[in-house]
Amino acid sequence: MSLLEVENARVAFPTARGLLTAVDGVSLSVDEGRVLGIVGESGSGKSVLSRAIMGLLPRSARTGEAMRIRLGGRELGALPERELRRLRGREMAMIFQDPMTALNPVMTLGDQIGESLRLHLGMGRRQARDRSVELLAAVGLPQPATRVDQHPHQLSGGMRQRVAIAIALACDPRLLIADEPTTALDVTVQHGILDLLQAQSRERGMAMILITHDLGVVAGRADEVAVMYAGRVVEQAPTRALFAAASMPYTRGLLASIPRIEDAPGRRLEAIGGRPPDLVSPPAGCAFSPRCAHASDLCRRQAPGLEDGGATRFACWHPALEAAE
Amino acid sequence: MADVAAPMPAAVEDRHAEAIAAHRRRRRLGPMFWIPAAWLVVLILAAAAAPWLGLAPPDEIDWMAIQAPPGVENHILGTDVLGRDILSRVLHGARVSLTVGFAAPAIGVGIGLALGLAAGYFRGWVDEVVGILIDAWLAIPGLAVLLLFSAVFGGSLSMVCLSLGLLFIPAAARITRAQTLSYANREFVLAARAMGASDARILLREVLPNIVWPLMAFVMIDIPIAIVVEGALSFLGLSVKAPTPSWGGMIAEGREHIEDSSWISLIPTAVMFVTVLSFNLAGDVIRRRFADTREAAL
Repeated sequence: MSLLEVENARVAFPTARGLLTAVDGVSLSVDEGRVLGIVGESGSGKSVLSRAIMGLLPRSARTGEAMRIRLGGRELGALPERELRRLRGREMAMIFQDPMTALNPVMTLGDQIGESLRLHLGMGRRQARDRSVELLAAVGLPQPATRVDQHPHQLSGGMRQRVAIAIALACDPRLLIADEPTTALDVTVQHGILDLLQAQSRERGMAMILITHDLGVVAGRADEVAVMYAGRVVEQAPTRALFAAASMPYTRGLLASIPRIEDAPGRRLEAIGGRPPDLVSPPAGCAFSPRCAHASDLCRRQAPGLEDGGATRFACWHPALEAAE
Repeated sequence: MADVAAPMPAAVEDRHAEAIAAHRRRRRLGPMFWIPAAWLVVLILAAAAAPWLGLAPPDEIDWMAIQAPPGVENHILGTDVLGRDILSRVLHGARVSLTVGFAAPAIGVGIGLALGLAAGYFRGWVDEVVGILIDAWLAIPGLAVLLLFSAVFGGSLSMVCLSLGLLFIPAAARITRAQTLSYANREFVLAARAMGASDARILLREVLPNIVWPLMAFVMIDIPIAIVVEGALSFLGLSVKAPTPSWGGMIAEGREHIEDSSWISLIPTAVMFVTVLSFNLAGDVIRRRFADTREAAL
């Protein structure tokens, strides 16, 4: 049994124009201590999926009847809010995209880290403070004993994200969801944060879901990658296999759009033409078909299911099964 | 790793120290704060200690000095029509004014804060109910409420505080609601929920500390308003009853003698003017400071 099992996740939001289906039947699982990368562009449903796992969807969200989310075998949807609160922070934690707003501006770092230690582990003030210093040191913040009494505005973006990670790691969760953890950071800082996340997940045997729009982020860091498009997983494969031979044209397009150092100077970047579909009234058939060079009548008529092909799964009628050139 | 501190070269360190010094200078509050603040501190202390300052009791009649001008023996600020010591009466009157000045905004902001927090955080029907309550409350004419309260419960200091305090609720609730709305959707609130915090915890630990300062700025405006309104009420005889001294009452008592003994009215008027001005000036400085620090934090 996997640590996290998501079955048939379906989340929709009522809008003025109609029901917007943000996540449309996603099933995936993460094993203990493994790293799953979820890749997709803005609006592909990856953040909504992570909120659904944490049980933090906005009140207006409608979830599908058949949605099942299990953490360590426990069905989260069946738990009362009180029980769910006990799991959040303790068993599953989350870090967010923008470290500038993810920390409370009027609380010291120590108080913010200590809060969950005191809430979940019943630590006293002193003990929580000492542990906070250790955690700040563990996430690579210089002078943790001084920093612990500082406020967020005294830190750079990269440091704040390290603090956010320290908060998330405080109670040794079994699952960490990192929602675009480096998107708001300088390129030079991104690498350090990703290395830190990877090192911490290995050290603690903590499973991690790494959500990003950047395939480069998951390369070499995730064990497995799921590509999302228009609220669905369109391809899922072990990272190495995905980079070696993507089957689904959208994934291939994403891979082709990564600039390579060997490219001749001045070479135009590959781009995927068109725009993501309108999720209030998605196209019939495959959601990617309007942008797909290989789309046939079948694609436009009927949406392909996620074929279970062993380690690699993909949703496409015309997969490219040969290795990418 | 980019965010590890490296030892700084001396030149950089100098510039650093300079920037810190400039920052400290900017953080200084300046005379526009300290002079009014000093007046308020002196007034508050004197009012609190009034019975023990060796002054004549505020209702003691000195038959030897009726309507004595300021500066006569034993009566630094003179006496009123009944020969009562004006300094003593001003200080005892300050107790009434300051009590109302602090208590009324405290009551109004206290209730408004609770309503605004609930409305801004929970939204939905709570927000609607609070909105209707506030609109209804605003539709009641404030002066009528004050007159009604003082007519029915007249003369009691706590009733003056309560009726005035009720008038501050709508604005306090709206400010709190607006601030809460802007903070309730911040990522750190979501992050707190992701850490397993309950609604109550989020409201008290995450949202409230962030909206306390804008509310304090609002309180700083309310205090002088409450003092002025209490003055007007006591001038009309609708606040505390004689012989308890109040500034407004003293002004009213002296108004018939304004031509021959102007100090009887002018002294309490001047004290009230300076006090209200002081609250406004000090409040302005604090508000501006608060705006600066907020910009720095964002």
